[in-house]
Amino acid sequence: MVLLYRKGCNSADLSALYECEAAQGKHVSLETSGSNPSERERLADCVEQIAASRSRAAFSELFEYFAPRLKSYLIRLGSEMSHAEEIMQEVMLNVWRKAEQYDRRQASVSTWIFRIARNRRIDSLRRTNKPELDAEDPMLQPAEIEQPDITVNRGQIEEKVREVIETLPEEQLVLLKAAFYEGLSHSEIAKSYGIPLGTVKSRIRLAFSRLRGSLERDH
Amino acid sequence: MLDDNLDPTISPQESDSFEERAATMGKATISDFGEIYSNYAAGCLDPAFCLLLETQAALRPDVARAVARAETISGVFLETEELATLSAGAADKAMAMIDAFEAGERPITAAVKMAGEGLDELLDLPEPLRETALHSFQKHKWQSLTQGIRRIKLDTGSEADVELYRIEPGCTVPKHSHSGSEFTLVVAGGFSDESGNFGPGDISLKGPEDTHQPTGDLDGVCFALAVRDGGLRFTGMMGLIQRLVGQ
Repeated sequence: MVLLYRKGCNSADLSALYECEAAQGKHVSLETSGSNPSERERLADCVEQIAASRSRAAFSELFEYFAPRLKSYLIRLGSEMSHAEEIMQEVMLNVWRKAEQYDRRQASVSTWIFRIARNRRIDSLRRTNKPELDAEDPMLQPAEIEQPDITVNRGQIEEKVREVIETLPEEQLVLLKAAFYEGLSHSEIAKSYGIPLGTVKSRIRLAFSRLRGSLERDH
Repeated sequence: MLDDNLDPTISPQESDSFEERAATMGKATISDFGEIYSNYAAGCLDPAFCLLLETQAALRPDVARAVARAETISGVFLETEELATLSAGAADKAMAMIDAFEAGERPITAAVKMAGEGLDELLDLPEPLRETALHSFQKHKWQSLTQGIRRIKLDTGSEADVELYRIEPGCTVPKHSHSGSEFTLVVAGGFSDESGNFGPGDISLKGPEDTHQPTGDLDGVCFALAVRDGGLRFTGMMGLIQRLVGQ
């Protein structure tokens, strides 16, 4: 009974988007358009330079990389063209303001900026919807016994996820993107892609178990 | 998606749901593929549940890891995003915004200065609960329910009711039932009720059928974050509750 928050992102619109993308022969692939490790290092250097010396050159570099992507992201999630650019500008200003808070050991710049953009977008939205909550969510499980000295190393988790995500088949990537990036519920994905709900769930489960580094493999 | 407005006991899709659950059980020790993480990462989760999840992540490494994994996936897809055409002069505008910001007064983070009973304890809460509680405290203050039990309403922008409970050792929250579901996350200390003992990071889930009387553990003050929805129903609730109490 979790409440979803959404605006301008109904499945009818997205179906149209997918059809359009399919017609143009676009596929979800991480190989051609994803950033490589040296590029990620460079982006992290830029944020650190902003923090250290208010470097406008570093900001320009970040802007060049992220501004067009952020605008696409915001439009994809339902923003109007002009509003998308306005929010993008606010996000980039926040990147400038919050540069001191960035820690490259904890997250890539993309993940960090994604969070800023997501939260900025949420601020302007007020609508609810509700999906089902999974009984096996760790959220609803009693705490495991953990050694107190184990802290969460987000950087390490990010590395692992990045390493594995590149090996996932497209049929799983497409669904991960719909769920974790576009914010569709499993049933909305099933509807949009014309895939049975059970298949959607099992593919996402399979993808996520690999990303966790689980030993579970495709049967 | 199952229709949450349907009574779960009569939902025709209920059996599908349970079959699916049964099919997925035992495959992973912690299955963090649940939709709540993708909803959260994508920015589609209700604010009350965002607060619940973020607070739990601050207390629980397993939850924090699941959140980190989910947000990384989102970040990777931002990298692969198409490049939109920006309007002419967008980069110049960004520079102008930065200049205006640098020239202006840096917003000074307003130091929350408040005196009052219970405030020191609020300062010890994990973020983001701490900030939410401090803001709400300025507006609502503590409401005393009964001996040793106080609560404060938290403003999250959600339609769900969100409250922080303060339970003194050995004191008992009056017996109550709920019109909807209630998620109670133990933030500090612990409490016990008919279904068991709950410590930091644990969530107690109660449905409309349940009544309970949580009693604070004797070893310290208990703080608990409760999120309650009015009339919404939770699918497969009984199965969940049984799992939670280890039956």
